[in-house]
Amino acid sequence: MDAILSAQQSLEKKGNLSKAIADVQTLIDQLQKTRDAVGETPEQTALHMAKLKQPVKASFDKIEEDLKEVNKGLNQYQKALKEKFKNSALPSAANDVLSRETGLVNRAIAMHLLREGKFGVARTLVKEVNESQQQAQAMDPAGQSSWIHEFADTDAMIMDMDMDTQWESREDGEVLEGKGHLQRKFTEMYHILDALRNQHSLGPAIAWAREHSTELENRGSNLEFELSRLKFVELYTSSADAVSDDEHSFGGPVQALEYARSVFPTFSGRYSRETSSLLGSLAFSPALDESPYSNLFFNQHTWEEVSSSFTREFCSMLGLSSTSPLYTAVTAGGIALPILEKVERVMAASRGQWTSVNELPVETPLPPEMLFHSIFVCPVSKEQGTDANPPMMLPCGHVIAKESLEMHARGKNRMKCPYCPNESHPREAKRVYI
Amino acid sequence: MAEYTSTKLDPDSHLLLDQPLLRLPHELLRKNLKSAQRQIEMTNKSVTSAVQASNNHSPADTLASLDATLAKAQNLTRKLEALQSEEKALHKQQKARIQHLEELHEIPSLSDVKYDNWSHARLDRLLVDYLLRQGYTQSAKELAQEKGVEDLVDIGVFEECGRIEKSLQEGKTQECLTWCGENKQALKKIDNNLELELRLQQFIELARSGEMKQRLEAMIYARKHLAGGQDPKFALQAAGLLAQPPDTPVEPYRTMYSHGRYEDLARQFLKTHHELLTLPPQPLLHIALSAGLSALKTPACHSVHALQPSTLTGAPVCPICSTELNELARNVPYAHHTKSYMEDDPVVLPNGRVFGRERLKMLNEKVGTKKGKLRDPTETSGTEWGEWEIKKVFIS
Repeated sequence: MDAILSAQQSLEKKGNLSKAIADVQTLIDQLQKTRDAVGETPEQTALHMAKLKQPVKASFDKIEEDLKEVNKGLNQYQKALKEKFKNSALPSAANDVLSRETGLVNRAIAMHLLREGKFGVARTLVKEVNESQQQAQAMDPAGQSSWIHEFADTDAMIMDMDMDTQWESREDGEVLEGKGHLQRKFTEMYHILDALRNQHSLGPAIAWAREHSTELENRGSNLEFELSRLKFVELYTSSADAVSDDEHSFGGPVQALEYARSVFPTFSGRYSRETSSLLGSLAFSPALDESPYSNLFFNQHTWEEVSSSFTREFCSMLGLSSTSPLYTAVTAGGIALPILEKVERVMAASRGQWTSVNELPVETPLPPEMLFHSIFVCPVSKEQGTDANPPMMLPCGHVIAKESLEMHARGKNRMKCPYCPNESHPREAKRVYI
Repeated sequence: MAEYTSTKLDPDSHLLLDQPLLRLPHELLRKNLKSAQRQIEMTNKSVTSAVQASNNHSPADTLASLDATLAKAQNLTRKLEALQSEEKALHKQQKARIQHLEELHEIPSLSDVKYDNWSHARLDRLLVDYLLRQGYTQSAKELAQEKGVEDLVDIGVFEECGRIEKSLQEGKTQECLTWCGENKQALKKIDNNLELELRLQQFIELARSGEMKQRLEAMIYARKHLAGGQDPKFALQAAGLLAQPPDTPVEPYRTMYSHGRYEDLARQFLKTHHELLTLPPQPLLHIALSAGLSALKTPACHSVHALQPSTLTGAPVCPICSTELNELARNVPYAHHTKSYMEDDPVVLPNGRVFGRERLKMLNEKVGTKKGKLRDPTETSGTEWGEWEIKKVFIS
């Protein structure tokens, strides 16, 4: 990388047209001088012009030199680039499965944009997809695919977001309702997040958390408490700036106490320690920053933490991962590609592409946080469990794939477990769900 | 044997997809230099010849000629200045891109939070690249601007490319011919016959009208543009076409008269354009995404028995199982694994569902099952079983 960097730096410094432009200026000065001379002494025109020939030629030679310099810089850069990428050919992916699925890719992108809160861009995208779709339709009315409708309505959904019109009243398919539902949820999430992160306003988030209080508790989430604690802190410290002209400087703490009285009892079961520590802090007002509670009140990251924990809870309650699937997939792709590219090179000679088979031919190790499912690999056949070849548990608790079991038990009434001395009837094996 | 999971980050192989990122500004700088060279050559020729020719002119004529020459030289300065500002922009872009890739070299591992940021930026530029290639220019521009990745994407290049492609689809060859003119040398170098195909198309249009005068014109046109030293196929086809009316059923002339030929031309232009600028023929998003879908996909993702994304298990939701990607991933191969990957201490419930013992207990505590009882936490109203009914399962 350093080689490229330095090549680029020297390119920027020396490999540019500024010299050539300066030299053209010299040429212009030369011409101007001759022109003035001819104007002054017309009788010596021929002489002046003869004197001009040499400098003109010299100027152009110089300018061409200048360009050569630029060219040299470019060549050096190209050399560095080649060296850097000498081992990385782009995978050919001649069998580009995704190119046939433009609609689905577009949909995934639109949803990704919504998820990232880029509603404006998502709206533009849906509009542009619609336009190009209509054009294609005009040319070829037969080639109309079903996802247009889906998108037409996505558009409407996005448009409706701010106004929150009665989208439910539409008589559309179930899929659509699901999608519209999702988008409305995203809007809700971003409204709350916006309030939380940018305006430091807790109201909407607390309202949401209270509404889903039971679910959150079932999941073992302490989001609701975190939000309330933040609210308590906010009320407590509000006296410092907002209500300073209040007759007694304890306005903030008093408000906080009132808030605590009304809200904290609901938390007393799980969070009694935390609530009592919060109430204890009231005793130290106003010298809070010297109290043992100061780190409770002066934590810069609290808002960010609460925001991200809110996002996490909100998404998983919808059954969605809190990071965008498109992001995860593309990142995993970046990690897996070097291996797949190598395989492709090796396989090109023999069999074909990795995209044309049922299962990848090699392992593509990913970071642990990218493993989402348990995986069963049959210890006998080394094949992964599928719907057609599911994992079966023998009475002894050992699990092998169904095909292995059938193979193993062929022609026998009783079979021995491949891993222990236990014998059983093949019928006793039981399908397990992993 | 390969490691099961890995957080190792090898920047060199990781940048597999990113060569075009650095390559394009370089090609554009070369093109820029070529334009400068051409301008200088042209001015050189005319200035030199003007100076040479002035020997026996009258003073007045000489003055006029000098003025014209001066104007030319000044014109050259203007042109070069324009090219220089283009050059500056490209250098800036180049620098930003190198820095972007350089950042990756400073990230120690895939689990580093900086890698997350880098990968987000990469996703953004792959998305913009995809949108541009699909012709969704406005979306691409907005996304690039909101994410601040303008220097990492090639909006101008694709916009120009899309404009020419569109004009071809609308049955206009002029803009593409101009483009061919600008890239004559480069096209010759890769032995590309796009220009000939375009000329043939113009000939076809002249022949289509069927009037004598137009057909004569077509003949003259063919002599001028198609009968050169190039591939004789073109001249022969053109000659043959003249003998056929536009509604001919005879091949290949029927296809030649067809309007579908413009679509072919548009495709050929796109291919040539990308080849010339060393742009990959398909969106990089496709490559990265299909690799990622496969690496993440398991047989369970499209299984009828798949765990429904449940709010109750607390497990992170698999991206392939989520609405966004599920359909898309249906036709890609799933990842290869040589070892089972299970939670610790797996046990099986009477309904056949397997869980890690600890997690099963924890989940049951959360949903508030009575002590000594257990139930399948993925089913909201499942049967409760006695703790003794769960069974240890051996999965190797």
